[in-house]
Amino acid sequence: MTQRKRLSNSHSSSQSKRQSGNLVSQEEDDDSTFTQPSTLQVQRGLEKLTTAQVDQKTAEVVQYFLVKDQKKIPVRRADLVKHVVKDYRNIYPEIIKRAARVFDQVFGLKLVEIDAKNHMYILINKLEKVDGASPIKSPANPKMGLLFVILGVIFMKGGVVRENLIWNTLKKLRVDSGEKHEEFGDVKKVITDEFVRQRYLEYVRIPHTEPIEHEFRWGQRADMEVSKAKILEFMGELHEQDPQSWTQQYKEAHSVPGSTQAGTSSQR
Amino acid sequence: MKRTRGGGDEEAPRQNGSVGRKKGDPQQSEADDGGSTLGPADLQDDDNDPGLRREIRSKYRDLINSVQQNREDMLSPSNNKLTEVLEEANKLFKDVRQAREAALDAQLLVVATDLGKEKASQLFAEGTAFDHIAFAERLLSFMGLNRLEDGEDDQQNRGGIDGYLPKDAWHRVARRAESCFMTAPAFHYMMGSFHAEPPPPKQKIERQRKAPSKEAARIMPTQLKKMEGSHQEATEKEVERILGYLKSYYQDDPTSPISYYEFVIDPNSFSRTVENIFHTSFLIRDGLARMYLDDDKLPCIAPVEEGEVEAGGSWSRKQCIISISPKIWRELIDAFDIRDTLIQPQNTQTE
Repeated sequence: MTQRKRLSNSHSSSQSKRQSGNLVSQEEDDDSTFTQPSTLQVQRGLEKLTTAQVDQKTAEVVQYFLVKDQKKIPVRRADLVKHVVKDYRNIYPEIIKRAARVFDQVFGLKLVEIDAKNHMYILINKLEKVDGASPIKSPANPKMGLLFVILGVIFMKGGVVRENLIWNTLKKLRVDSGEKHEEFGDVKKVITDEFVRQRYLEYVRIPHTEPIEHEFRWGQRADMEVSKAKILEFMGELHEQDPQSWTQQYKEAHSVPGSTQAGTSSQR
Repeated sequence: MKRTRGGGDEEAPRQNGSVGRKKGDPQQSEADDGGSTLGPADLQDDDNDPGLRREIRSKYRDLINSVQQNREDMLSPSNNKLTEVLEEANKLFKDVRQAREAALDAQLLVVATDLGKEKASQLFAEGTAFDHIAFAERLLSFMGLNRLEDGEDDQQNRGGIDGYLPKDAWHRVARRAESCFMTAPAFHYMMGSFHAEPPPPKQKIERQRKAPSKEAARIMPTQLKKMEGSHQEATEKEVERILGYLKSYYQDDPTSPISYYEFVIDPNSFSRTVENIFHTSFLIRDGLARMYLDDDKLPCIAPVEEGEVEAGGSWSRKQCIISISPKIWRELIDAFDIRDTLIQPQNTQTE
C-alpha cells in the first residue's frame, strides 16, 4: 500500500514541477503514458543514431542499475526512462536488450522484470554458487539469516502464514519485534518495510480482522532469487530428515518451474 | 442443496446416532436432494405455520452462533463438530420453505465453509508436518546456543531456554543460508573511491627544493637580501612593530581611546592601510589588543594590559570581518580628518 502511495506522490510532484515545461515532458513522468515503442519505431530510431551513442546509453543504464541494486530495491521503468534513457526512449527495448546482454556476459547477472504490470526490474545472480571456499571472503549479511528464517517458515507452511506465527518463531530466536535488536535494530521495520520494499516479502492485510492482522507471503524478488529446493535441503539438515519426507514441499520445490528458477539442489 | 461431509471421516455416522445415518442410506440421499418425505397434506400446514417458521429460523441462528463462538474448538482436528453442525443443518433444511430461512441457511454455509477452509489448511500442515517452534529450537542449536551456561546469564535471557547465544549467531545462519539465495553481489568500486591524499604533494615539494640548490650557490649573494623579507617573518615583525606603536600611543594618553580607523588608516596609501588592518587583526587574534565600541559606537583599539592576557580564557570570542574599498577609505579620511598615518611605513619595502 505504502509503495503505491509513494509512487503516486513522486508522480504528482514531478508533474507539477514540469507544468511550465512542454506537454511532452509532462507525459514522460507518468509511466502509464510510456508506451513500448514498436519494432519498426525502434528500427527507425536506431538508424538515426551511431553505435557509439547507443553503446554509451546502454552503459549508462547498466551503471544506473548497478548502483540502484546496492540497496536491493527494484528499479522502476519510469525512473529509468526519466533519469537515464531520456531522449532515447524510442529505442528503449533495444537498450534494455543490450543492457541485459552486458549483465549476462560481463557480470554474470540476470536482468529480470519481476512485475510486468508496474514494470520493475531487479538483478539476480546467474552463476551457481561453488560449494566450498569462495575466493571472496566477504562477511555474510546477517539479514540474510533473518530472511531465510521467515521465507523458510512461510514455504514450509504452505506459502502463506499469519504474521503472529512469524513473530512467535522469531521471539523464540530471541528476536522480539517490540524491542530493539542488537543485530537488526527495529526488527518490525526491517521485516515489514525494508524486506517488503525489496520485494523479498509480501505483507498483506487480512480483511475483516479485528484487530488488524496481516499475512506474509514470498515476494516477487524471493520467487526469482531464492531456491526452495536449497531451503528444503537446509531444513533437512537441521531436522536430520530427508528433504523428501516433506512430500508437499518437496514437490513444490522441484516441480514448479518458477520456484526452481533460482537453481537446483543436489539430489540426495 | 446437496451437502458434502466436511473432514472426510468415517466415524461420523457412528457418533451421531440419533438419526441413524449410514453410508449409502437410500432414504437419506433422497432427503438430501431437498425433497420431503412428508405427504402433501402436511405440506400445506407447514408452509404457513408461523411458529414452525420461527423455530426453524431460530435453530439456524443457533447453529451460526455456535460455529462462530466455538471457532477454535471446531478447528481442532480432534473432533468432528463441524461435521455435526453441517448434519444438523441438513436436517433443518428439509423444512425450509421460505426465502428467509434459505438465506439463513446460506449464511450458515458461508460460515461453515470458511471454517472448513481453515481446517483444510491445517490438514496440509499435518500431512507434511512442520513445527515452527521445533524449527526454532534446532536453529538455535545451529547458531551455537550454549545451553549449559546458566545462572548468571539467566537475567539476560527472557524466559524460555536458558543459554548464551554467541554474538555471531546470525552470521552463522546467514553464511549457511547464503547458498539459497542467488543475490547479485552489491556493486562497489574495488579500490574504494577517490580521495586526495597529502603524502604525494609533500614529496613533490622536497624535490623542487633540491633542484634549485645547484644554482643557489651562484645566486646566493642576491638571495640573501631577499631572505630577510620572507613572508612569514615579515608579517611577524610587522605585527610586533604595530603593537609597539599601539602601546606607545596608549601610554601617551591611557584615558583617551584610540580610534581604530585613525590607527590603521594611512592617508597616503590605500594598500598600506589594508596591510595595517591585516596586521592589526593578528594582534586581536592573539589577544594582545582589544577592540571595543565607544559611546559614539565607533570602534576603538587598545592594547591588553600585561596580566590581563589570557589566551581565550575569560574573554568571550567574537569574530568579525572587516572590508574596505578605496571609496570607503577616502570617505573615512574625510570623516575623521586623518592627515597623517599613525603607523609609519617600513623603509625597506619587500615584495
